[in-house]
Amino acid sequence: MNETNGPVITAWSAVSAFGVGRDRFVAGLRTGRAPAVALDHAEWPAPVDKACLVPATGPRDLLGPKGTRSMDRATALAVAAVGQLLAADAGGRRPEAGEDTGLVLGTSTGSVRSIMTFTRDSLTQDRPYLVDPARFPNTVMNCAAGRSAIWHGLHGPNVTVAGGRPSALLALNHARRLQRGRQARSVVCGAVEEFSAERAWLDWHTRGDDELAVLMGEGCAVLLLETDVADDRPGLAEVAAIEVGLATDAEDVGPVLAGCVTRALAQAGVGPRDLWAVAPSGAPGRYGDQERGALGALLAPGTAQLHCMDLLGDTNAASSAFQIAAVLAAAQEAAEPSSRAALVTTVDRDGVIGCAVLRIAGTA
Amino acid sequence: MTVMTPRRVVVTGLGAVTSIGIGAEEFLRGLRAGRSGAKPITAFDATGFDHAIGCEVTDFEAERFVVNLPVREFGRASHFAAAAARMAVDDAHLPLADLRAARSLVTVGTTDGESRDLDHLVQMEVDQGPEHLDPVVARRVPAGRLSIAAARELGLSNVEAVTLPTACAAGNYAIGYGFDAVRTGEVDVALCGGADAVCLKTFAGFYRLGTIAPERCQPFDRDRKGILTGEGAGIMLLENLESAVARGARIHAEVLGYGLNCDADHPVAPNEDSFARCVRLAHRNAGIVADDVDLISAHGTGTKANDVTEARAIRQVFGQSPPRTVSIKSMIGHTMGAASALASIACTLAIREGFIPPTINHVSTDPECGIDCVPNRAIDAQLRVAQNNALAFGGNNAVLILGRYEENGVTNSQPAGEEAA
Repeated sequence: MNETNGPVITAWSAVSAFGVGRDRFVAGLRTGRAPAVALDHAEWPAPVDKACLVPATGPRDLLGPKGTRSMDRATALAVAAVGQLLAADAGGRRPEAGEDTGLVLGTSTGSVRSIMTFTRDSLTQDRPYLVDPARFPNTVMNCAAGRSAIWHGLHGPNVTVAGGRPSALLALNHARRLQRGRQARSVVCGAVEEFSAERAWLDWHTRGDDELAVLMGEGCAVLLLETDVADDRPGLAEVAAIEVGLATDAEDVGPVLAGCVTRALAQAGVGPRDLWAVAPSGAPGRYGDQERGALGALLAPGTAQLHCMDLLGDTNAASSAFQIAAVLAAAQEAAEPSSRAALVTTVDRDGVIGCAVLRIAGTA
Repeated sequence: MTVMTPRRVVVTGLGAVTSIGIGAEEFLRGLRAGRSGAKPITAFDATGFDHAIGCEVTDFEAERFVVNLPVREFGRASHFAAAAARMAVDDAHLPLADLRAARSLVTVGTTDGESRDLDHLVQMEVDQGPEHLDPVVARRVPAGRLSIAAARELGLSNVEAVTLPTACAAGNYAIGYGFDAVRTGEVDVALCGGADAVCLKTFAGFYRLGTIAPERCQPFDRDRKGILTGEGAGIMLLENLESAVARGARIHAEVLGYGLNCDADHPVAPNEDSFARCVRLAHRNAGIVADDVDLISAHGTGTKANDVTEARAIRQVFGQSPPRTVSIKSMIGHTMGAASALASIACTLAIREGFIPPTINHVSTDPECGIDCVPNRAIDAQLRVAQNNALAFGGNNAVLILGRYEENGVTNSQPAGEEAA
């Protein structure tokens, strides 16, 4: 575990279309695709008939009645996922996540439903200020991170990052830098995305014809990132490298991703043919084609492939968090005595491209 | 872990888009003169509000300030970010070819991202139904695009472009992130700051909370009545000292350090003890003590709750005679995610030029605040260290420490050595 001395992922959890918690996620990956829900258009006035939803009716269902009256779905997904992560297997709070723990959470645009509903009220009520003040904080994009900190008593740096599908990799990089700069020790990091009719309409207006086949998804996956982990507690995986770049158009995605992967593997000291598994974003359309092409040219044909988007739908900002979770889940399912490396790649139509190399701890 | 000597991080480029001046030099003139950016809001139809004064940037056409950005594909906040980033690079006299060859970070803080566009989309939805949204406007919505706009304007590819939507402290978060990235040697250049555009959503929300002032913003005044919403962008170019000296760059100031913490207490109300802790974290990170600070640029929103809580936290750390504490929000309003970025630029200019910008609209200081806010007129002062405060919804606190650049460091106490991978 000590070849590049990156920080270590010591725990993870997920609230996904497979259900609440890590065990549901692991079991779900075993069985394959998450069930798509037929949308009740009275509840979800969206231009799609099906989506991969977290099986919970709302914040109250996930977290109980107290403190959830004005909470939005994205915030509830994050609060629930962080709660799952911080719960020790033996009960109570994980001791390694003290009250100075930081939180870095990825998002696309917070809750566009909260923002648009609030604005709609202003435009349609008798007076433009007749908006619900209790829901104003939901319209600010750091709401999920701030409320998660309040709910769970996390007083360390509390950061929200936005970067589309790569958001969780950007969050992981941010967390790593906070640790290097001695701003934080333990950091919870991950990303969240909610499904809503508003998001579905924005998506419907902006998707290319070659991107229509994928269902929309949602959820939140989070990791606990620690430094200076004692040798007797090796953790699950070391974050050996993260590389991020920017493509100006779809044709640029493959070369930029290839550059990122090459640099990341070199940093991690891993040969492209020595990877145990790769979890690509699996984005639909030209961006995904470029990702497939770049990885096909770089990696050995037998590298195990983990495809989250096929299983969970397009979870947008949460997608790279789920990809990391899938790598950790698969590693847990097929534990091996020696360490091995996995690659996570992500591409986004706004142009941010990235990858991470994780070195999975061996059992020996 | 390998022990690493952290690099010193200096500010060599400034870009500002504000309601009192576009460009760092015009912003400087506005700060010195105590200009006010307040005027009736034009961003949305204000019918139905009893008052709607804001601090808009009224003379900004993106095409005048950007070269490469496909303007129509990006919203107003992205235009501000791209323009300010372009100005910062020009100000730094850093050749674009060198910037493109460098490993860089572009990080823009924001509160609302492109919520101005979301205002318009909701209006279309209300008028014609959700099937009639303009796809070009819909495409502009993701918050990540603010940073991408700045990076694309400059033609960067080997770049980490990341937006930090950590509400009203986001500018300081972004500069802190840039500081760490340059200090550890992970990037050669960081372009960091914040951007926001005035939008109905945020105006209506603050108005409903009773925190919008009817005419003017009066931080620390006995009769203060709240904020004025504002807009703009501030971007700083950071590089390490060796590279700045090697290329003969003008060094505006040095970034000494920063602190972050979270109240984890109340979604919107600030917490005195927690913010005081954040100030102490910043001092420790910067290797300074409270006595080193010559100027505090306050969050100073002009609301009843913020100003008294912030002033109490300042006295908790600095004692009963804290350094002069000003709020430039009196001049440019609350520019949300841009606020602490523009205030950082104001601190940098104050250090460089030897003056303290005033807190305008000031009549009589609230005794509960008990600070010298430099009322109404700028004063000359030689400054060595300035502290820039930021507080945000979600209990997100961020404090940045800037210092005058001196060859041997502005303080005798050296920043603690650190380890990095």
